Amino acid sequence: MFDFDATLPLMAVQFLILTLILNALLYKPLGQALDNRDEYIRTNLQQAKERLQQATELAQQYEQELASTRRQAQALIEEARAEAQKIATAEIAEAQQAVQAELLKIQAEIDQEKQATLQALEGQVASLSEQLLAKLLA
Amino acid sequence: MPLIHLWTALPFAKLEVGHHFYWHIGNLRVHGQVFITTWFVMAILIAAAFAASRRIERVPSGIQNLMEYALEFIRDLTKSQMGEHEYRAWVPFVGTLFLFIFVCNWSGALVPWKLIELPEGELAAPTNDINTTVALALLVSLAYFYAGLRKRGLKYFTKYIEPTPVLLPIAILEDFTKPLSLSFRLFGNILADELVVGVLVLLVPLFVPLPVMALGLFTSAIQALVFATLAATYIGEAMEGHGGEHEEAHS
Repeated sequence: MFDFDATLPLMAVQFLILTLILNALLYKPLGQALDNRDEYIRTNLQQAKERLQQATELAQQYEQELASTRRQAQALIEEARAEAQKIATAEIAEAQQAVQAELLKIQAEIDQEKQATLQALEGQVASLSEQLLAKLLA
Repeated sequence: MPLIHLWTALPFAKLEVGHHFYWHIGNLRVHGQVFITTWFVMAILIAAAFAASRRIERVPSGIQNLMEYALEFIRDLTKSQMGEHEYRAWVPFVGTLFLFIFVCNWSGALVPWKLIELPEGELAAPTNDINTTVALALLVSLAYFYAGLRKRGLKYFTKYIEPTPVLLPIAILEDFTKPLSLSFRLFGNILADELVVGVLVLLVPLFVPLPVMALGLFTSAIQALVFATLAATYIGEAMEGHGGEHEEAHS
């Protein structure tokens, strides 16, 4: 059972030769293939990640643009509304002023007429009182 | 009694331990049966390797897929024992150890070698011959010495007196026990497995040996794995040394 002979070194040499053959036939080409596949998967994954990031960035950008546009529209509406308000206020004030002026003018006219009438009446007072006196004395 | 004689007369159930089919090369004697099965195993491995790498595709299928699975298994095994930086150069050696022993063991269990008559001795797994296992174990010893000297130079020999010179005899003894245990473990397991199956077939030739045969297949695979793992461990250990802990700490 334990007889050692030339089988031992020859087996060792055979094994080394087998290692060399399998290295050339199996480990090198298949290892290369495994590494290449790893590389391929890694680059693809990387690209996919980059694309995903780009897409996310684009979506974010659009979102921001949308938000800013909405804000601009809001501002425009606000501005238009404020302007309209201003114009309306100004017109109301103007109309009120015009009415006021008309009112004052009419008031002045009335006052003037009153004055004139009063003056005229005052002028008649002397003659009327004389007539009254004459009538009473007569 | 005649029944037993009948069974022993059948070619399947005959035990021959210690008989060898000798070839004479010059004035050297070699065990021919070991070489015949070894060439058979090598032919299987080379054929499988050739078939797997003949047309390499990005999406593997068939034999390429199988051999890639084996290669990845070997790579993981080597990487776990030697670390990320060093393992690549040793994948061929450890991988061939594993594949060769594995196919040897299984060929002994699965191929009906008994059908081929030899003038003397019998065909069996090459790993049940002590010459084969000692050859492989000595190669492992050479490999780890080579790995250690290559990686660490003469500082490799400080492992004998580190951490303390008290352990020097044990450290030296280790260099002898490593190949001894490697070769005898493999040799003993495979030979014992074949003997148990042989004896059981001799006693009860139907169905009863089947569970033992299945167990033998399992043991054979485990032994191949153990041999390859230990070889990788020894090589990794030799390269790491006692200064290697720092490297491991921050990796």
